[in-house]
Amino acid sequence: MMDDSTAARVARLGRALREEQVGVSLTDEIDGARALSLVDLADLEEARRALRIALKVKHPAWAVFDRLFDTVWRGGETSRTAPPRRTLTHGTERRGGRFPRWNPAEAAIESETERETPEGEVPGWSPAALFRRAVLPGCSPPELRALQRILAGWARRLATLRSRRLVPSPGRGLVDPRRSLRRAARTGGEVVSLARRRRALEVPRLVFLCDTSGSMSPHARFLLAFALALKQVARRTEVFAFSTTLVRLTPWVVPARLALTLERLSVQVPDWGGGTRIGECLAEFAERHLDRLVDGRTVVVILSDGLDRGDIAVLRSAMRRIRARARKVIWLNPLLRDPRYRPEARGMEAALPFVDHFAAVHDAASAERLLPHLVA
Amino acid sequence: MNPEIEAVLEALEREGYVADLPIATALHLAVGMGKPLLIEGDAGVGKTEIAKVLARVLGTELIRLQCYEGIDSQTALYEWNYPRQMLHLKAAEGRGQDPERLEASIFSREYLLERPLLRAITRPAAPVLLVDEIDRADDGFEAFLLELLSEFQVSVPELGTIRAEHPPHVVLTSNHTREIGDALRRRCLYLYIEHPSLEKEVRIIRAKVPRAGEGLAGQAGRFVQALRERPLAKPPGVAETLDWTEALVRLRATALEPEVVGQTLGCLLKDRRDLAEVRGEALLSLVERARAEAEP
Repeated sequence: MMDDSTAARVARLGRALREEQVGVSLTDEIDGARALSLVDLADLEEARRALRIALKVKHPAWAVFDRLFDTVWRGGETSRTAPPRRTLTHGTERRGGRFPRWNPAEAAIESETERETPEGEVPGWSPAALFRRAVLPGCSPPELRALQRILAGWARRLATLRSRRLVPSPGRGLVDPRRSLRRAARTGGEVVSLARRRRALEVPRLVFLCDTSGSMSPHARFLLAFALALKQVARRTEVFAFSTTLVRLTPWVVPARLALTLERLSVQVPDWGGGTRIGECLAEFAERHLDRLVDGRTVVVILSDGLDRGDIAVLRSAMRRIRARARKVIWLNPLLRDPRYRPEARGMEAALPFVDHFAAVHDAASAERLLPHLVA
Repeated sequence: MNPEIEAVLEALEREGYVADLPIATALHLAVGMGKPLLIEGDAGVGKTEIAKVLARVLGTELIRLQCYEGIDSQTALYEWNYPRQMLHLKAAEGRGQDPERLEASIFSREYLLERPLLRAITRPAAPVLLVDEIDRADDGFEAFLLELLSEFQVSVPELGTIRAEHPPHVVLTSNHTREIGDALRRRCLYLYIEHPSLEKEVRIIRAKVPRAGEGLAGQAGRFVQALRERPLAKPPGVAETLDWTEALVRLRATALEPEVVGQTLGCLLKDRRDLAEVRGEALLSLVERARAEAEP
């Protein structure tokens, strides 16, 4: 029979893990308790191993698990080291700096008190800047409506990826012997018509990574509009924004009202004004989100001018990781509008070998031209 | 230390698998709790081997289901032997048999081709069911598998429900090319296998490639450990280390020399860019370091 204090400790450990964003459910705790009954409780290391297996702790969370296990098993109380979950950032861990709330007035006050200044820079965040963004260049309501119409028309065409799984099909396809024979039972064992099956349809998964720093913002806003519109059609679309840090925007993408969400988004992403650390942000994406969100069926779209302030080697290795995992990598660079542009900036040059499709996108027409590449 | 876990460790070693405590604990718990075990890790660390060794240790059959993209429940579970059924129907045509009896006879166990999952639940003794590379299958197949793992019964419309008298020990492996769904995760115990430590890797080399002397095994182990520290697209697994050591032995190398290492590097690195990165100066320094550190 399970000793009460052991069960209590497992429960405390489970709760502590959940507070630190390590997913552990009640079922797992029950498994954990059962596992402990099969090992020598006096041996701390054995108990640790058993719990790690029974609570199904994923590899990236092992350090957190070890720390919490030590605390709980030695009878301590776990303190909340992670900041409490805030609705705005939805579990996104931030490396300092806080994002202002949706209310612009409040935002000014918060950003005054809690901002983090990158070395030697004056943060470019001010109430005036907020109101300047109220007008979205390249995303006027008529343009947005046009975009939505185009994408509605493309809805069917987007769902054209075929997986390798076979499903019954009324028309053409491979012969399905099992169903054919079953049908034959109706006609006295004679196969009169053949049932067929073909490869199932599959909607592509998309991940958008948008550079939202100074020079990129009008383009970023357009692409975000595009991504939002796409999300109505391809529901598994993830949207991230980055300039000096990476922010996951997906939870705030509300399909119904494009313009309102865009306005919210413009407030979300702080623009420190002064160049991007593309490599670091992509490396953060690769580290924290790549395994979970990107697989062999996902297309990753990166919007950036490729002017990276940071270490190019970091950018290169991040791009390599992303390319290895994704089905396709598309890089959108607004500078490509100019036919004289050559991708010579070190960042762009380093990333190009890992890019399958390199294009510009700045209005509805170019967005339409991009669509075939998302499904091919 | 639970003596049973120690016994598992010893049993694994006896079967030639160099295990460590996490692996032994996981196997002990999986068998003791009757839960499936999901093993995740990079390619070549020995995930599939564990299932094979478990079968040998338990003295039972190993049934393997290799997953691939597009695998469906039909191919994994059972199939009717259509050609044979059609032949039987044609043959019986002339004789004017009662149609109901005919139908019953062609839908009998004789005409059923048992695929791995069905076989696993119809064995006289609980086998080890290895579901290999579940990450290559899709969500639909995962859902189907989950159902099977919960009930261990299959319903064949023509035959009725087939229940497992001896539920199999289930081991699932994944190369982590895709995130396994939560429901399946929760159903299984979870073991993550990392690349081995130097000491463990050298022990494995000595166990699996006995012709490699202690010196070569030590140097080879150190070389591969150092190689994994580099930013490679495809870090070599234990399987690659063993292939490479075997290759060195066949080329009659008793110690690492830059030339022979350069010739055999393809056993360790299977990516063009990785190979390009470990050439010339980098290769020389790695070899020197491995030799120096292996000196007692």
